[in-house]
Amino acid sequence: MIIDVRNITCRFGSITAVDNVSLSVDQGEVVVILGPSGSGKSTLLRCLNALEEIDSGEINIDGFLIDKSHRHIHQIRLEVGMVFQAFNLFPHLSVLNNVNLAQRVVRRRSRAEAARVSKELLAKVGLQDKLDAYPGQLSGGQKQRVAIARALAMNPKIMLFDEVTSALDPEMIGEVLEVMKQLAREGMTMLVVTHEIGFAREVADRVIFLDEGKIVEQASPGDFFTNPTHQRTKDFLARVL
Amino acid sequence: MTMTWFFEQIEILSRVFYYLIQVVHWTILISISAYVLAMVLGLVFGVARISRNRIIRVFAGAYINTLRGVPLLVLIFFFYFGLGKVINLDRFVAGVLAVGVCYGAYMAEIFRSGIEAIDYGQHEAAMSLGMTRWQTLRHIILPQSVRIVVPPGANEFIACLKDSSLVSIIGLRELTRAGREYANQYFLDFHTWLVVGVIYLIMTLSLTRLVKYLEKRVAVHGYGASRDDH
Repeated sequence: MIIDVRNITCRFGSITAVDNVSLSVDQGEVVVILGPSGSGKSTLLRCLNALEEIDSGEINIDGFLIDKSHRHIHQIRLEVGMVFQAFNLFPHLSVLNNVNLAQRVVRRRSRAEAARVSKELLAKVGLQDKLDAYPGQLSGGQKQRVAIARALAMNPKIMLFDEVTSALDPEMIGEVLEVMKQLAREGMTMLVVTHEIGFAREVADRVIFLDEGKIVEQASPGDFFTNPTHQRTKDFLARVL
Repeated sequence: MTMTWFFEQIEILSRVFYYLIQVVHWTILISISAYVLAMVLGLVFGVARISRNRIIRVFAGAYINTLRGVPLLVLIFFFYFGLGKVINLDRFVAGVLAVGVCYGAYMAEIFRSGIEAIDYGQHEAAMSLGMTRWQTLRHIILPQSVRIVVPPGANEFIACLKDSSLVSIIGLRELTRAGREYANQYFLDFHTWLVVGVIYLIMTLSLTRLVKYLEKRVAVHGYGASRDDH
C-alpha cells in the first residue's frame, strides 16, 4: 500500500469538497476517478500532494504523513508527480530547461546529469526534437507531454493526472493518453481524474466514482461499467456512455 | 528685433547651457543612486508585501503606505535636517536616501503587482515539483515578472530623475541648484530656467525612447528570448 488516505475532509468556506474520504492504493495500481463536475475529484487529487490543505484526517504516502502540521510536505511532493489540466509549463524556459530546472534546484543534479535524464524522458514522450523550443511554440498535446516528462524527471513513485486531456483539441488527446498508457504498463502508480471513459475501461485497475465529495462506488472497470450497483453511478454512466 | 539681438540671445543661452551641462552629472548620479536603492527596496518590500508571515506583510505595508503618503520634499528635509544632523549625513547621502526610500515604496507596489500577475498555476507546478517558495520565486516567478515590471519600472526612473531636482533645496549642487545660483548671479532667470528645462527634457525624452525600445524588446522576444540555462 503506497497511498493510505484516512477520513480526509477538505472544505472551502461552507462547501465541503471532499467529505470524509478513505482510500488506499497499491504500488503499481492505476486508479481512475470519475464523477460529475464539482464532485471533488480534483480536490481529492490535490490533497494528495498538499496543494490543498486538509481540514481533518490524514494521508500516508509511502511512509510520509500529511496532516495539518505540513511537516513532510517537501518529501511528499518529491514522491508525487502531478500533471495539470492547464499544463502550467514555465513559459520563460525552453522545453529542456522546463524539465531540467527542478532536477537542478531540488534534486541537486549536475547540469550534465539533469540534461541526460531530460533528453531520455523527452525522447520517451516523443519530443526529442523540441528541446530548444519554448512552450509558446508547442501544440497543446506537445505541452502536456512536456509536463509529463517534467514530472517524471523527479523520479516520483506516484503520478497524479488532473483532467490532463480536458483542455486539448480532440486530435491531440490520443498522443497524451498513449504516453499515460505506456507509463501504466511500466508499473507506475497512477491516480487519474478524467472524462475519458475509454481510457478508464482500457487502463484502469480500479474505477472510483465520486459524488458530492464522497466515494459512492469503486470497482474494477469491468464491473463498474457493466454492473454498477448504485443508482447515482447508473445515472452518471447513462449520461456519459 | 535685429539679427544682432537674436545672436546675442543664442550666445547667452549657449553660455548658460555650457555652464549647466557641467553639473548635470550630479543630477544623473543622484537619480541613478536613488533608483538603484529604490529597486532593491522595491524588490524586498514587494516580496515582503505578499509574504505568508503576517508581521512581515504588515511591516512592508506600513513602509509602503507611509512613504507614499508623505511629500518627497518633507522626506528630504527629514533626512537632511532631521536624521542627517543626528547621524551626520552629508547632503548627497541624505538626498539619495530620501529619494530612494520614497521611490522604493512605489517600486514595491510595481514589483508586487508584477509578481501577482503571474498565473497561480505556475506556483502550483513549481510546488508540485518540490520547489520551495524561495526557489519558486527566484526561478519561476521573478524571471516572468521582470517582463511585466520593466515598462512601469522604467517610468519610475523618469519620475525619479525629475524629482531629483527637489534635493536642490538642501544645497546639493545639481542641475536645479546650479541653475538657481546662475540665475541669481547674472539676473538671467528667463534664459537659465529655459535651459534647465530643456536639459531635463533632453534627458527625459531620451529615457522615454529607451523605455519604448525596452518595451518592444520585451514584447517581441517575450517568452522565447531569455535563455536561463539550468
